[in-house]
Amino acid sequence: MLTMAEAIREAMSIAFDERSEVFLLGEDVGIYGGAFGVSGDMYHRYGAERVLDTPIAELGIVGAAVGAALAGMRPIVEIQFSDFTAQAMDQIANQAAKIHFMLGGALHVPMVLRTPQGSGTGAAAQHSQNLEPWFASVPGLKVVVPSNPADAKGLLLSAIDDPNPVIFLEHKLLYKIPGRDPVPEGSERIPLGVAKVVREGKELTIVATGIMVNKSWEVCEKLAAEGISITLIDPRTISPLDMQPVYESVEKTGRLLVVQEGPSHAGFINEVIAQMAGSPTFGSLIAPIKRLAGMNIPIPYAPQLEKAAVPQIEDIEIAAREIVKNWR
Amino acid sequence: MSFKYPVVMPKMSMTMETGELIGYHVKAGDIVKSGDVLFEVMTDKIDMEVEAPADGVIESLVAEPGAVVDIGKPVLIMLTETQIMAFDFSGDGASIEAEPEVAAVIEQPISEPMAVVYTHVKAVPKARVEALKRGIDLQIIIPTGPDQTIMMADINSAYLDPAVSKRQMANKSLIAKGIQMTREIPQSSFSRSVSTNFDQARLISVWASVLRSRPDIAIHPHVGVATIIESKYGSALPVYKDPDLLTHAQLSALVASTNSAATNGKVPLEMLTGATTTIFDLTTYSMSAATPLLFPNQITSITIGYESATTKNISLTIDLRHCDFYDGAQLLDALVASL
Repeated sequence: MLTMAEAIREAMSIAFDERSEVFLLGEDVGIYGGAFGVSGDMYHRYGAERVLDTPIAELGIVGAAVGAALAGMRPIVEIQFSDFTAQAMDQIANQAAKIHFMLGGALHVPMVLRTPQGSGTGAAAQHSQNLEPWFASVPGLKVVVPSNPADAKGLLLSAIDDPNPVIFLEHKLLYKIPGRDPVPEGSERIPLGVAKVVREGKELTIVATGIMVNKSWEVCEKLAAEGISITLIDPRTISPLDMQPVYESVEKTGRLLVVQEGPSHAGFINEVIAQMAGSPTFGSLIAPIKRLAGMNIPIPYAPQLEKAAVPQIEDIEIAAREIVKNWR
Repeated sequence: MSFKYPVVMPKMSMTMETGELIGYHVKAGDIVKSGDVLFEVMTDKIDMEVEAPADGVIESLVAEPGAVVDIGKPVLIMLTETQIMAFDFSGDGASIEAEPEVAAVIEQPISEPMAVVYTHVKAVPKARVEALKRGIDLQIIIPTGPDQTIMMADINSAYLDPAVSKRQMANKSLIAKGIQMTREIPQSSFSRSVSTNFDQARLISVWASVLRSRPDIAIHPHVGVATIIESKYGSALPVYKDPDLLTHAQLSALVASTNSAATNGKVPLEMLTGATTTIFDLTTYSMSAATPLLFPNQITSITIGYESATTKNISLTIDLRHCDFYDGAQLLDALVASL
């Protein structure tokens, strides 16, 4: 069983083999094998021309990638921590996302920006953020948040195929974890913009992103043993967002719990709530929509506080149990 | 001796200010019976036939066909033999113009009383959808959900026998809505003990004539007395229009047949609207008192309570915006004296 880091490396390797214009650049992606070991041995397999170690200069890295993409290449950028994309935001939001539109479609930027995000590693406020809404709120960017190795592989291959910029947000805590489902061999793609119904149940619908899918799964397992069956939906791509499975599920369950790691205020998951509230499915709700999200504070350094700042399995369990019990 | 009675342009909706006279079904000199169609009017919302309020003769047609007539203004003048009418215009024609206008301007339509309800009911969206589908009024559902919110379980437990409960619900909701709408109205109640014996028809008739004798506080040009009857579908409220114009025998027969029909859930359509006051007779339940009722667009209601084998308690509720305490005392005095 491949871990997510291995599945991502496999997807990149397949893309490297399929297309000569695909290359990887970033800090320590070469000889060192990547800050989290994602690129691993790729430097040795593909050489310094395709796996480029760069200076510590995020704006320059992304700028170079945008330029290369405009010139016909398909760069994969790795930014060591998603927090550092702040340095490169002009290239991401003002250049990569808009060039296709501002030039009447004459040019496009087939770039993938991969970056690890999230808390739980004791790395403090500047290395632990979940920045999903930053990217999801920029039209022109597609945003992928894989929750398991199999999805990561198929989605990354689609992202590299995509003619326009794709932000690929990988949770650090998932890198070393094998998935529940084996990673398929071969080069099968998973289309962007298609949500996945991870499991089906009758009492409650949970929509969660990234690592929260895994935490929610544990809750689904536990409550299933008590006779509470839950539908778990992983949007996988948060921009564009596929709401159809969510509507179909809530029409059956009548209850919706949404879970994200990032701060609640103006978080991505609020979009799921907003779309639900404005949809015909609203009339199927038999309970108020419940949101679980991170606190509106910078991620604390102290491990206990760091844990308390984002939803944990116990929080999801309590919320799920309460919705089902209190709203009949 | 004949009495002049102006038949006026009725107010048929909240927004209606004028109506167009489409045409007459009668001409001057025609003899008409109560309920005969006199003329047709058209508004932006509805076309309606206006009927003769009583037996009589058409004295004159006032408005030209095609004319736009303000609500409350006379369309034609009838001569009736009945002594007590809303307005006795046996004098000159000048007062015909003024009086009914004052009376009708304040009149609110009975058909649109729903505008201010659904204020503070908390319910999950699905409960609202289902309530609408099943004809259940959320106002009468007891919420058991968090924060006093109506849940689906509350809807489901309120919904027992589809055949009967739907109409029961509709009836309850109608009454609940009415009372809810008037809750904020400043009101007061008076009561008196009476040892006189009277039947329902007499009470209805006497109360109507007492109200008719006070055009200064009337907000409607007619008197419509609603009574509350229990049926298997819940409370029914048949309305007797101008009952004081009938003989006691006529009214007694009408009350008997209406009560019998209402008990089976069949109130004649024309008796469902037009109430200007309500009589709630608790003596059939051997009850002495209930919370005073005031329905929308009615400024009075009467509750009859059981006191002893020989005495009853009559209480009057008034809308203080239209009647002051003195008016209320006078009305109740007049009712007791007439009984």
